[in-house]
Amino acid sequence: MTFQTHDARILEVKELTSREKLFTLRFVDPELNRSFKYKPGQFVIVDIRGFGEFPISLCSTPTREGYFQLCVRRVGRMTKYMHKLKEGDIVGIRGPYGNGFPMEKMEGSTLVLVAGGLGMAPLRSVLWYALDTGKYEKIYLFYGTKAYEDILFRDEVIHLLKHGEDMNCHVKLAYEVESPSCIYLEKGYSPRVCKGVVTDLFRGETFDVENTYALICGPPVMYKYVIKELLDRKLSPGRIYMTLERRMRCGVGKCGHCIVGTSTSIKYVCKDGPVFTYWDALSTRGLI
Amino acid sequence: MRYVKLPQENFEEFFNSLKNWGKVYAPVKKGNIYSFQHVEKPSEIAFDYTRTMLPPKKFFVRPKDEMLRLKGGKWEEIDGVEPVVLFGVHSCDIHGLEILDKVYLNEPVDPYYKKRRENSIIIGMSCMPDEYCFCKSLGTDFAMHGFDLFLHELPDGWLVRVGSVKGHEIAWENEELFEELTEEDMRNFREFEEKRANSFKKHLNKEGLEDMLDLAFNSPVWKKYEKICLGCGNCNMVCPTCRCYEVCDLWMNAYEAVRVRRYDSCFMETHGLVAGGHNFRPTRLDRFRHRYYCKSYFDPSAGFNCVGCGRCDEFCPAKIEHVKVLDEVREGLQ
Ligand SMILES: Cc1cc2nc3c(=O)[nH]c(=O)nc-3n(C[C@H](O)[C@H](O)[C@H](O)COP(=O)(O)OP(=O)(O)OC[C@H]3O[C@@H](n4cnc5c(N)ncnc54)[C@H](O)[C@@H]3O)c2cc1C
Ligand code: SF4
Ligand code: SF4
Ligand code: FES
Repeated sequence: MTFQTHDARILEVKELTSREKLFTLRFVDPELNRSFKYKPGQFVIVDIRGFGEFPISLCSTPTREGYFQLCVRRVGRMTKYMHKLKEGDIVGIRGPYGNGFPMEKMEGSTLVLVAGGLGMAPLRSVLWYALDTGKYEKIYLFYGTKAYEDILFRDEVIHLLKHGEDMNCHVKLAYEVESPSCIYLEKGYSPRVCKGVVTDLFRGETFDVENTYALICGPPVMYKYVIKELLDRKLSPGRIYMTLERRMRCGVGKCGHCIVGTSTSIKYVCKDGPVFTYWDALSTRGLI
Repeated sequence: MRYVKLPQENFEEFFNSLKNWGKVYAPVKKGNIYSFQHVEKPSEIAFDYTRTMLPPKKFFVRPKDEMLRLKGGKWEEIDGVEPVVLFGVHSCDIHGLEILDKVYLNEPVDPYYKKRRENSIIIGMSCMPDEYCFCKSLGTDFAMHGFDLFLHELPDGWLVRVGSVKGHEIAWENEELFEELTEEDMRNFREFEEKRANSFKKHLNKEGLEDMLDLAFNSPVWKKYEKICLGCGNCNMVCPTCRCYEVCDLWMNAYEAVRVRRYDSCFMETHGLVAGGHNFRPTRLDRFRHRYYCKSYFDPSAGFNCVGCGRCDEFCPAKIEHVKVLDEVREGLQ
């Protein structure tokens, strides 16, 4: 049934920052576990039974089977319940929903991932997918974070700062709040680590516009500025993908909450998206 | 389509036979308003009703609706759909249901809606427009499908259009109550339709409506109405095509909970609110405009999201008129 959720057991809970936890899950039903396929950029609805449901992006990659991961920021009622859960606890899951990023179409191209804050979660799925499959020319990760303590998947990001070049993966990090750890990072990896916002990371960068795709995820204010940087570098709107957030209830185009647009073009972020190109944003008002 | 005549003297028997198909609901007058209620005999029915406050959507998407029940840590589907016969549905509301069908029966199918739709019989009934109706401008003043039987008023009975297999079955069962149509019946039918067509007082200019509105995103008319509108959301509740819903879990006792959905309205501040307090439609202006955009969106397979029933006008406490707003926006562009 459409709104039934399936039991998934929490295998591991990892504290990423003071606000975000990473949950590793597996469906209790082994058959479901085998058949659960998803694409980077898709999301699931998490059901804490008797308390409610909320949408969360899949932040693991489908290339690693047998489990999936959700990075949840504690911001309100439901996410607070989620943060109280422990290893072994069960939650309900339905999905995957949404269109996801067109990973196959982008094969052979350079990917520029632009993440702001929690936007790192869905893009981590793309990042790992690209690294695991090795089917992409080059991978850039531009990551803007508030402070050192807020860097999501810090171990992974620092590992890639150190060793990414060997895998054709170029990581750049912008932070806003100074701290000894940041200064240490900046010393080690300047100019790839700098104080500033994510758009500062574009400075000096050019892309082979015929062979590059940009993938953006971050807070609502970020999109306009990042898109400007990309358009300035002559990237075509069709090569700019962004994944968007809206209030979501059903996740499948029924409840009406995620509707955007005007009389000429109405889109459901949950089922027409959450991944859109910049062309979509130009033809659907209110998308960004 | 099959056409037959139901003479007035057979109406009661026909009506009683409907009870074999389900619980019969029909428009009933309550104070100053009409609503679809359970009826036992024809005398309870308000045959001359204009519009009910809540459209028939309330039978399929209920104002407050239990979806799942939590027992022993597992959600159970809530069963128990009873067959219903909706008697006296006007053409605009039939079109309204078809728009809801497009949403709820599209993959993934909404199981609750589907079950209720499958267990319902729709019996249409002709009507005369009042000062609020503008269905004719939208082409929703006549239903060609979406009903099982459609009853058109004649001086001495009803011209019945049979619109579905179930409709045929009902007609079949009542074969002895129906007669063949005469030339005179056809003439009366045409006369009625002509009179009706000429009785519309309100017209929506839908020419290029979608583009016109899109161009008028910054029209001062929105700002004018933002100040008049109370943001109560009545217009959403009564609209036969509005269907936004909110979901929440409620505990019945320490061991049992239900997942309930209820009507939501894009006029509510929480409609576009996400975590962290960011609101995608923060002002009354954004929300007022959004409703007009949503209602005036044209889906090539389902038409506009408005069927011109006039409910939003009749039940708006601020007396905002849908057509007038759109006309003013259009004028503002010229
Ligand atoms: C496609 C998508 C992917 C997301 N991915 C992630 C992710 O990977 N990690 C993460 O931490 N967060 C993600 N979010 C945001 C997450 O859904 C919200 O943070 C969460 O719903 C907040 O619930 P709350 O009850 O804790 O917050 P509150 O602020 O208490 O929310 C109040 C009410 O609004 C509802 N609400 C608030 N924000 C949203 C929202 N965006 N969508 C639906 N309902 C909302 C809540 O369910 C609640 O009932 C995503 C949102 C979307 C739409
Ligand atoms: S917008 Fe108003 S007139 Fe149109 S269908 Fe809804 S309630 Fe009826
Ligand atoms: S019914 Fe009238 S006052 Fe209430 S929200 Fe709708 S337009 Fe505004
Ligand atoms: S989340 Fe319900 S329609 Fe998109």
